[in-house]
Amino acid sequence: MTAALSDMSLAVVPGEIHAVVGENGAGKSTLIKIMTGVYQPDSGEILNEGKAVTIRNTHGAQALGIAAMYQEPMVFPDLDVAENIFISHRNLGTFMNWGKLYQSSDELISRLGVSLDVRRAASGLTLAEQQTVEIARALSLNVKVLIMDEPTASLSAHEVERLLNIGKALKARGVAVLYISHRLDEIFRIADRVTVLRDGKHISTKPIAEVNHDGLVKDMVGRALDKFATKTKANEHGPLLLSVKNLSLDGVFRNVTFELHKGEVLCFGGLVGSRRTDVGLALFGISPSTGGSIELDGRQVVISTPQQAMDYGIAYVSEDRRKLGLAMTMPIYANASLASLKKFLRRFGFIDRAAENAMAEQYRERLSIRSPDVKIEVGKLSGGNQQKVMLAKWLETKPRLLIFDEPTRGVDVGAKAEVHNIIRELAKQGVAILVISSDLPEVMALADRVLVMREGQQMGIFDISDCSQERVIALATGQDQVASAA
Amino acid sequence: MIQFFRRLHPQSLRILALAIVLLLTVLFFASQIDGYFSPRMLNRIATSVAVILPIAIGQAMVVMTRNIDLSVGSVVGIAAYLIGDYLGTHPDVHPVMVVVIALALGAFCGAINGALVAYGRVPSIIVTLGTLALFRTYLVEYSGARSITTAGLPQWLVDLPQATVFSIGNFDMRLTVAMSLVAAIIFWVALSRLRVARKLYAVGSNPDAAVVAGINSSLVVFMSFVLSGMLAGLAGFMFLAKFGNITVVAGLGFELKSVAAVVVGGVNIFGGSGSILGVVLGTVLVDTIDNSLTRWAIVSEFWREALLGMLIMIAVATDTFMTRSFGRMKGKSE
Amino acid sequence: MMLARLKSWEGLLLIILIITVLANAALAPQFLTLQNQINLFQLSIEKIIVALAMTLIIINAEIDLSVASIMGLAACTFGILVESGTPAGLAIILCLMLGIVAGAFNAFWIAYVQIPSLVVTLAMLIMYRGIARVLLEDRGITGFPQWFGDLGQKAFLGPFPLGMIIFVVLLVVLGLVLHRTGFGREVFVIGTNAEVARFSGVRVARVKTILFIISGVISALAGLLYAGRLASVRGDAATGFELDIITMVLLGGVSIFGGRGTIIGVLFSILIVLNLRNGMALVNVTGHIQTAVIGILLIMSVLGPNLAERMRSTGLAKASA
Repeated sequence: MTAALSDMSLAVVPGEIHAVVGENGAGKSTLIKIMTGVYQPDSGEILNEGKAVTIRNTHGAQALGIAAMYQEPMVFPDLDVAENIFISHRNLGTFMNWGKLYQSSDELISRLGVSLDVRRAASGLTLAEQQTVEIARALSLNVKVLIMDEPTASLSAHEVERLLNIGKALKARGVAVLYISHRLDEIFRIADRVTVLRDGKHISTKPIAEVNHDGLVKDMVGRALDKFATKTKANEHGPLLLSVKNLSLDGVFRNVTFELHKGEVLCFGGLVGSRRTDVGLALFGISPSTGGSIELDGRQVVISTPQQAMDYGIAYVSEDRRKLGLAMTMPIYANASLASLKKFLRRFGFIDRAAENAMAEQYRERLSIRSPDVKIEVGKLSGGNQQKVMLAKWLETKPRLLIFDEPTRGVDVGAKAEVHNIIRELAKQGVAILVISSDLPEVMALADRVLVMREGQQMGIFDISDCSQERVIALATGQDQVASAA
Repeated sequence: MIQFFRRLHPQSLRILALAIVLLLTVLFFASQIDGYFSPRMLNRIATSVAVILPIAIGQAMVVMTRNIDLSVGSVVGIAAYLIGDYLGTHPDVHPVMVVVIALALGAFCGAINGALVAYGRVPSIIVTLGTLALFRTYLVEYSGARSITTAGLPQWLVDLPQATVFSIGNFDMRLTVAMSLVAAIIFWVALSRLRVARKLYAVGSNPDAAVVAGINSSLVVFMSFVLSGMLAGLAGFMFLAKFGNITVVAGLGFELKSVAAVVVGGVNIFGGSGSILGVVLGTVLVDTIDNSLTRWAIVSEFWREALLGMLIMIAVATDTFMTRSFGRMKGKSE
Repeated sequence: MMLARLKSWEGLLLIILIITVLANAALAPQFLTLQNQINLFQLSIEKIIVALAMTLIIINAEIDLSVASIMGLAACTFGILVESGTPAGLAIILCLMLGIVAGAFNAFWIAYVQIPSLVVTLAMLIMYRGIARVLLEDRGITGFPQWFGDLGQKAFLGPFPLGMIIFVVLLVVLGLVLHRTGFGREVFVIGTNAEVARFSGVRVARVKTILFIISGVISALAGLLYAGRLASVRGDAATGFELDIITMVLLGGVSIFGGRGTIIGVLFSILIVLNLRNGMALVNVTGHIQTAVIGILLIMSVLGPNLAERMRSTGLAKASA
């Protein structure tokens, strides 16, 4: 078991925006959870104004003036904006003074330089507005340290501008902001210092003036680059399988166009929240597209349910094992056969348990799932082995098109290489593969072609021979536009 | 137009709709039943609402925290019977003291429910289904098949249903009705003005966020059950006063009626929202239909339950569709 | 580990069962006779039949509170039909179809409109019961054909009455469906995590619809048996049975959150409840106290494992600290 985070040193200073960057799994979320008292560190200490403190729980963090803004905003949909802001206050008297409440909230909101009706119910707010509410809440508590976790991940360009301005406003008010983001362009615009994390280790902390874009990217992906061999040339591939033209889903993504051949690996690059997953879900019939066309083997098809997608030979390996991928309290064999249960049914719908077991055993061997037998609950396996069970489930459907969503999220380095080998093997056997990944080295190691998305739009599609990590990052963050505008 | 509806809080919209439905219902029955607008009918409905209203308010607070209290009917029975029994042997107890005892009895029953749900982590549906039977059994055992009769009650209690606070024309404002309304107003003001009470909404609206905001969710859920029990105790007192004769089946079926009133009154069954004003309207609507059907010649009064069931379903379905189309409107605008 | 725990729950039930049976036998020597055991089953035969269907529903992470009302509605409909001259055989078929319709109506709201089953079936508990009352008002209907009453009361095959045979057949059939067929597997997966099931191509709405229809038709069947056994029907027939039924299922180790449970566990819990009631009757405990004991058992069956779980987790936290 490797440490999620080790030897981490970080100093936050009032009136400073301190950016923390790193890839998925670099240890950013662990850092937040330690600072807000959700996790306790195994070693090391936290100093507040020079004194060592222990943050036992979220209360403790609040008392020290540390607040976090989570990726999923913690608002109460049924309460109005003003009440959401002041919900944690304990010394406002027994009775609600709505007039004063609205007035104070109005002041707080306007201090952030935004306009928002504080009498509106939070259920009607956009994500960006909900974030504003959270920031105002932190401000009202006289927060000293505000942690923002990927605050711009799902915001539009306009909303990002507004958030960055709020960040500057906070800085001016003497708040220390810990700004966690993938988006390097934002970091260069607002951060004073930047810390890089990689694989749970502290790589560097430097003033922003001393780093440049390329240097930062190198620090972020550094070792990972030589870890996996980067492809330089696309593999040979078979005939055309899938042709997607102008695929759109109202208000989510639009005009996604690509072709995918048998035996080819197409990677969807981009930031978290760039709507790549939604394209995958549309192809799998979970949230069907509202525009554009999908052709399989040259014939136009309509996919409106997962069953239809599966009948066409499409499989979708979800990014969220716990919520969408596996029945955690059920045994390996039941999960492995779930998507292809029909194959194991005999007379009167009885399951052929012997055949089912044999199948599961076969995958346990082939994918080297580390477990004494296939009757173990999948919840008891490690992340990597769970991922393999999920793979087994979809491989057993003998898919023609396999969609992987973040295939190695929360998986250790060894298992990651194994999963990559399985994907390559599948491609060699002629399966068309679509990989959605935020992990750039992974994209570079697997892809024959790369499609980059940003805010629901296709930014470009190119051959692996024309691809570099820098180019993907540039397209995904809109850095190229900034560069060309400058 | 759409802009107007979007600005309007969905809750206000819900209450507006409810008021219109209530008005139409009343007009409908008025056209069907002779002398419907008589003070007698009004008094009849008002005294009936007076018993159910406190239970519905308590139920509303429980539902707001994403729970349900199916034991209220049995609590009403226990409170009504035990107080009647107690008054039979202690006829000189001060009336105010009697009400306090009723509240305490109810609160005690509620505390049992609340402790099991909030601290024992047993789903409320299971706990209150269990205590629904338990409390009733206790009553049956305690009573030994005896009934409370008016003869055993002190005179002030027997006269209470006729006690009138004031009269407008032929309509008399009965004391029990006034008590119920006062309770409703207290809770209405409390839920919208009292800072502590707002936690009910917070816990039901987003339990995870409530934890992050430092709200003691278990305590809030516990208290909602205690209050629900307390108000059921008050209803038990009213029940005793209204009927005088109490058997062990007193309050049977009130749990369903209160859930109906709450759901029809626009309290979100998934927790987090609802207003006492809506609950009052919901209770009046449910009870008006109930009482009017017995007077409607065309349709048998046995339709009451069937209509009640349909009414709940319509209310829930309307809420579901409304929330979803609101969600969709929002999704498109982004 | 998980399997071991499930087994231990059933092991515990088995031990309790043996104790109650032995206690009964010690209290009354005639207890273990076949006829006495059959009588024991007959007293609650309708409830235990419906409990089998409820087992599948709760494992699917749903609940059906309307079963007792469907029982009453079917019984009353039968009464009205027979009274108006419909041949009893045809009336039985019509009532079973009514059960299917009632179950399908529940399923429509639950599976397709996606309103929680707790709310839907609570409303339907009131509504179906209300319709039963509309049909019979405050009358009772008697005078069913002799053979119909006999089906409910008399031995049908060997010493066994029809209800018991239906129970055993359903026990075997539903047990096999739940634990051995693809459909049963889907029931478990949906109960464990409905989203995982959907993302694996399981037709979640269809499975739920089938379950509620099964529940509806079995409830209607149980209602007919009830009418036959009592040889009369009233509007309040079978009122409140849902509590006993759900108690038996949960006591059998079926998780109220779905995904866990076995038909064998439910069988054990049914036997325990029947024997416990019998034993309590032997020592002169009234029916109401019996109900209260069952109510306490219901709460304990969830509270017990919860407290044990919490103790275990705090123990673990201490051990790791």
